[in-house]
Amino acid sequence: MKKKWKNNILFCVLLMTSLTAFSQNTIQGIVSDENGLMIPGANISVIGSSKAVTTDFDGKYKIEANGDAVLSFSFIGFDAQKIIAAGRTTINVVLKSSNENLKEIVVIGYGSVKKADLTGSVSTVKTKALQDIPSNSIEQVLQGRVAGLQITTSQVPGSASTVRIRGGSSLRGSNSPLVVVDGFPLGDAGDLKQINVADIDKVDVLKDASASAIYGSRGANGVIIVTTKSAKKGKTQILVQQQSSFSEFNSELNLWRDPVLMAQLSNEGRINGGQTPLYIGAENSNGVYYPSVHELQSGAWPYFTKWDDITFRSSPLSNNTLVSINSGTDKTSFSLTGNYYSEQGVYVVDNYTKGGYNLRVKHDVFDNLTVRFSNILSKGNRKANDGLAYWRNPIFPVYDENGNYYMIGNNDYSHPVAITEKRQNETRTTDFITSGSLEWQVIPSLKLTTRLNYKLGSSINDQFYPSIYTETGDFNNGAGYINNWEGENFASETFANYNKTFGKHDLGVTGGFTYETYMSRNSNLGAFDFVNETLGNENMSAGNPERNTVSNGKTETKLVSGIFRVNYGYDDKYLVTLTGRADGSSKFGKNNQWAYFPSGAVSWKAHNEEFIKSLNTFDELKFRMSYGISGNQGISPYQTLSRYGVSQYYDNGNWVSAIGPGYQVGTTGQDGIEKLWGGIPNPDLKWETTAQSDFGVDVGILKNRLHLIFDLYSKNTKDLLRERILPVSSGYDRIWVNDGEITNKGFELTLDGDIIKNKDLTLSASLIYSKNNNEVVSLGSVEQSGLNVDPNTGMQYEYSGNSLEQFRQFPNILAVGQPINVFYGYKTEGIVQNLQEGVNAGLDGDLAQAGEFKYVDINKDGVIDTKDQTIIGNPNPDFTASFNLSLKYKQLDFSAFFNGAFGQDVLNTQAFNQPSNAPLRWTPDNPTNEYPSLRDGRTLKLSDWWIEDGSFVRIQNITVGYTLKPAKSVIQSLRLYLNANNVYTFTSFEGYDPEVGTDGIYWGGYPRLSKWTIGLDLTF
Amino acid sequence: MKTRYKILTMALLMSAFSCDLNEDPYGFYSEDNFYKTASDAESAVDYAYDALTFLEYSRAIFFVGDLPTEECGPKGDEAADNQNLDKWNVASFSTNRMLSNYFKYGYIAINRANAVIKNVPAGDYDQALKDKFLGEAYFLRAWNYFNLVKAFGKVPMHTSLVETVAQTSAPMAKDLDEVYDFIIADAQKAVELLKVNQALGRADKVAAQALLAKVYLFIASSKEHNVPLYTAMNKDVNTMYQLAAKNANDIITGQSVYGFENNLVSIYDVEKPLGKENILLLSMDRTGAVEGDYSKISKLFIPYIDGATIYLKNPDNTYSKSHDGWSVFQTKTDFYNTFDGSDKRRTELMVTTTYNASGVISAQYPGKIIYPFTRKYIDPNFIGDKTSTKPFLIRFSEVALTYAEAAGPTAESYALINQIRNRAGLGNLVPGLNANDFRSAVLKERSWELAFEGNRLYDLRRFNLVAQVVPEAAGITAEQAAFYPIPQTEIDLNKGL
Repeated sequence: MKKKWKNNILFCVLLMTSLTAFSQNTIQGIVSDENGLMIPGANISVIGSSKAVTTDFDGKYKIEANGDAVLSFSFIGFDAQKIIAAGRTTINVVLKSSNENLKEIVVIGYGSVKKADLTGSVSTVKTKALQDIPSNSIEQVLQGRVAGLQITTSQVPGSASTVRIRGGSSLRGSNSPLVVVDGFPLGDAGDLKQINVADIDKVDVLKDASASAIYGSRGANGVIIVTTKSAKKGKTQILVQQQSSFSEFNSELNLWRDPVLMAQLSNEGRINGGQTPLYIGAENSNGVYYPSVHELQSGAWPYFTKWDDITFRSSPLSNNTLVSINSGTDKTSFSLTGNYYSEQGVYVVDNYTKGGYNLRVKHDVFDNLTVRFSNILSKGNRKANDGLAYWRNPIFPVYDENGNYYMIGNNDYSHPVAITEKRQNETRTTDFITSGSLEWQVIPSLKLTTRLNYKLGSSINDQFYPSIYTETGDFNNGAGYINNWEGENFASETFANYNKTFGKHDLGVTGGFTYETYMSRNSNLGAFDFVNETLGNENMSAGNPERNTVSNGKTETKLVSGIFRVNYGYDDKYLVTLTGRADGSSKFGKNNQWAYFPSGAVSWKAHNEEFIKSLNTFDELKFRMSYGISGNQGISPYQTLSRYGVSQYYDNGNWVSAIGPGYQVGTTGQDGIEKLWGGIPNPDLKWETTAQSDFGVDVGILKNRLHLIFDLYSKNTKDLLRERILPVSSGYDRIWVNDGEITNKGFELTLDGDIIKNKDLTLSASLIYSKNNNEVVSLGSVEQSGLNVDPNTGMQYEYSGNSLEQFRQFPNILAVGQPINVFYGYKTEGIVQNLQEGVNAGLDGDLAQAGEFKYVDINKDGVIDTKDQTIIGNPNPDFTASFNLSLKYKQLDFSAFFNGAFGQDVLNTQAFNQPSNAPLRWTPDNPTNEYPSLRDGRTLKLSDWWIEDGSFVRIQNITVGYTLKPAKSVIQSLRLYLNANNVYTFTSFEGYDPEVGTDGIYWGGYPRLSKWTIGLDLTF
Repeated sequence: MKTRYKILTMALLMSAFSCDLNEDPYGFYSEDNFYKTASDAESAVDYAYDALTFLEYSRAIFFVGDLPTEECGPKGDEAADNQNLDKWNVASFSTNRMLSNYFKYGYIAINRANAVIKNVPAGDYDQALKDKFLGEAYFLRAWNYFNLVKAFGKVPMHTSLVETVAQTSAPMAKDLDEVYDFIIADAQKAVELLKVNQALGRADKVAAQALLAKVYLFIASSKEHNVPLYTAMNKDVNTMYQLAAKNANDIITGQSVYGFENNLVSIYDVEKPLGKENILLLSMDRTGAVEGDYSKISKLFIPYIDGATIYLKNPDNTYSKSHDGWSVFQTKTDFYNTFDGSDKRRTELMVTTTYNASGVISAQYPGKIIYPFTRKYIDPNFIGDKTSTKPFLIRFSEVALTYAEAAGPTAESYALINQIRNRAGLGNLVPGLNANDFRSAVLKERSWELAFEGNRLYDLRRFNLVAQVVPEAAGITAEQAAFYPIPQTEIDLNKGL
């Protein structure tokens, strides 16, 4: 340290004295590496001026400089060098390759450490390579890039992704990690659309408790820290990035293309179900004429409509344009980015656009006082026209003979053209984020930072549902809505970082306090009974004033925290980290207002021990162990207060507001018409507590060309936020309590290898493997939680998610001793082939007939009833893995990214009665054991027959690029690339795509989109 | 340098904010910001009444009061819980949702009434208004405990507002006397505090007197007929009969607002909720937003007739319009046949023929109309499924019959029962009956007069006649007939039990 200071002073003195002493020279030379290979593209700059050049293909350079100039030589992957010209005209430089991996700085919340000194489990993603993939938010491209980070993306333009770190740990609270941008905690990860991926320098993912405990009551789900780029010193740089994409379905749509077969099978199903067949050349009970099979066969029926051609775009286009200007001097640097992003949905008219800017300024007011300021504006517009009926019956035309929409009887709410033309659903969002900070280097070892952050988000949603064509509109004679929302985050943080070395002792201390508030408000207007619908919701007063609806709401929360961290290192071998945070949250009950989250970690850098050094094998060999407590405060505000309800009472001929104890918190029972009442305060309500231990090893061998990170972890979450049942006579049904326990255990492996590394050719590969097993340990008592008990095994469980209409059953359960969301239902043994076989199997009535599912009589009591249910599948993958391959040959680069999940079960709700599988049905002539007969009105039971293996490997991304650095041109660099996203999926799954939500339910829908992009990066 | 410190001091100051973590409720009411004014208190009283309207409670009036009797049976695909009520499948009762909802809403209404009783006295406004609100709250608490004791017998006693988790458990009443003493005390307070003041959906002094009369009669006849637990009550049968008669007589002779309606059909005219007969109606109106605010009770009683609009012929040969129904409560033929052929409560109040808009017969019983149905719940101005049909909680005729039964075969009693019979087109009751026969005759009269008004089960219970009269209940024990079990979830969760 001291030496460096001396050098700096020396440079300054030299610089000042030399200004007049030497005259302008041309300096030239060759830059090479330790092996004597020339380095093309190395940067040479004259310190204190804007002059800079790069080496040519032979590593040669030429630069004009004063004889006393200080030259800086740098290249990625090598240690930079500063050389004083001292009047020489030829300077050859040998750059030493740097051990980048270990020098990298990792941001860990309220500070950073060298990667080499990391004690917790933190993964860093350099986002440069991810920029080639067009995306609305960083989360979309992080899929598969970090061990232990699980991301599920949506195909809907502008929509959020689901993000999990090391599995879900909460049942009723949020499972999303906290996302922090440049120190500003913004909330749940999944939809960070305000920050352009191109503006992001890197993403650090805090996984274990030692790392995440610094975020206390919001750290239990892990933390994703996003660091934006800062402008480099030097001359002004202008960067233009352009991406143009088109998409297409990656497989055929599963729709009826043969109307005759469709009609025949429909008739067969209805006849088997004892119903009048539809296709008999007569009007059905709804007054709709259905042609007979003969009419369809002979061609007498004139209509055949390919509704998918009408509802889908053949190739939705998207565009991403970004222009950024960066400039930096010794004292000030600034960067300004403007961005415009547009994405067409796969449905016609459906689209999403986003635009905004990002300004960052840094200025050194004094030598030791730095001011930073940033300002982000992001405006989005989502015009939704999704959910159109591409599956509509092809035998009906779009228009009738008079040119009106052809409606299939009364109450036809799925005419895609009518809906596209008449329905409105548009959301405009505006997000504004601004941050200011002061950093004061009080003494070389002590820095004080104070930051103020503010975010304002707002959205306006306009909806109109016309009568006749939409259900809501028809019931209400036209329905218009305007929904407003506004949310505000404010965070103030002040903390000190102290770093000092005393001989062999390295000490780093961080301490400070933060204050955060969150406020959100909404107001909703509704108007119905429109006199005239032409204006949609533009004129809400055209509705019947007596039926107008108005509602509003507001929530406010506060969080006050103290933070503390000590990093201690001895002899660069032994490291200890202790972290603590105290959180006081307004959401917690009066009796538990403050929470404390301690954690500790130790690490041993064995590669710095002589006996390991002497092996000459390990460049890095580090062992890490950590344990800590973090929390999840995913409670809704005001749960700890008593709350009264408001309803309407018809008092002597007038509607009056009635108010009193107890308010409706939900519904239950058949059809969900029975109300549930809450409102009793729970002053003991608190955060969910996660205790996590982690053991990790970092290994680097072969000059760090092979690098391995291994982590084994165990995460135990207790005090889960759940609703408890109250005694019926209390007048209340539910109260929020802390009850129940979940564990997540697993291991993660990241293997990086530089397979080939020479001047022209580099080839590197990385493999990421994650395995997580979760288990529900406790759900509270059977009585207080209202748990069900499996009659055969005594297993305690409760339903999770929603009941499936198709089966009138809840597919997912939370069961003690089982992973989250396992499937619960019946088992089958093929198909009943004859009545006797059905009766023998314990079936009766319709269910015993030939062609029915042969359910298994699990408890062997001779009847098939609800007591024969059992666990029939697990939607959680056994493991996930991804593989990335990067190849660089001269100016050409290539990368391929594979991502996969293995062993998860998927409930395929479309496994039967679809165009692809209905023809395979059981018939007396085709006594298959694979499919049942077609029989309308069949009461389906959810069984293992509908469960499939959802394992898949996806060629997620392929990029081919070409980079040009013209020697003498205004253009510094030019890169042209082709990117293919979601190229191909290897799977045995029968549906379009096995990648479904965490509940494992596949709903059908449409195939996944492959996206093809051509991109151009220009640097001036 | 000084500037530097100034900037830093300022920055640090910016970061120093209050540590106050208390939440201020926004947009909702709690005890902190409520009960300040008379209109607050009135809306709290309304909230207590509103508990009676929720469909889990208002529908249960019939599902519990009529379905388990000989009056009617359920439609074939009615929910299993309701089938079990009809079939007296007693083993299933402790987990029956209809029963547990009936139990739950009784207590929800009690808790809402307790909130009024606790908070109103401290209010700073006119004492007369306070008396009215408190009187209604006492009435409602008594009314709901009476519902509970009639259905479940001994029940947990929540005598004050539940405000904390600890208060959500309450001890079981040690005997029926404890429950009834509490009910009687509340009803008496209501009688003292309230004035005669007929208003739709609000109880007045007469309602409280009627409740008191009903309560005394229930104790008297139950004990007289050796209904389990009632036999052990520390109450004298004759005293109870006398008190019932006294309170009923206070209504019959002590006021002029309420009395007999002369025209049978107009008692049930949905547009005349303030008719002379109506001492207390459950207030619901077709303009409401959710079921409970509006009523679908008509749909439960009317059979399905092609999903069409039906027209019912009135005694004056005009027609009343209605939607058809869901055939939920299907009148049993045996019960229909107990009505005398000339009884207007059969000929005018039970429907066997429907018409179309032009007066042409559209359906008939037997035939398309699968059972003769009551027209006590008909709303000619229905909007879709929404109607203003209301359960009749207390009618003047019931008060008259209560008096007659309590007082026994006196001249006044004969006069009252004969007035009801004559209105229905029947002759006078056989004179000179002894007390027992007379009371049985009143019971029979009640089965016709109060049919489909949620009364029958309780009449059968207090005469210890359930197993005898209801074919589905044959063979059950007296205890099983007299009380439904306390819901299992209550037993599991109430630490006071």
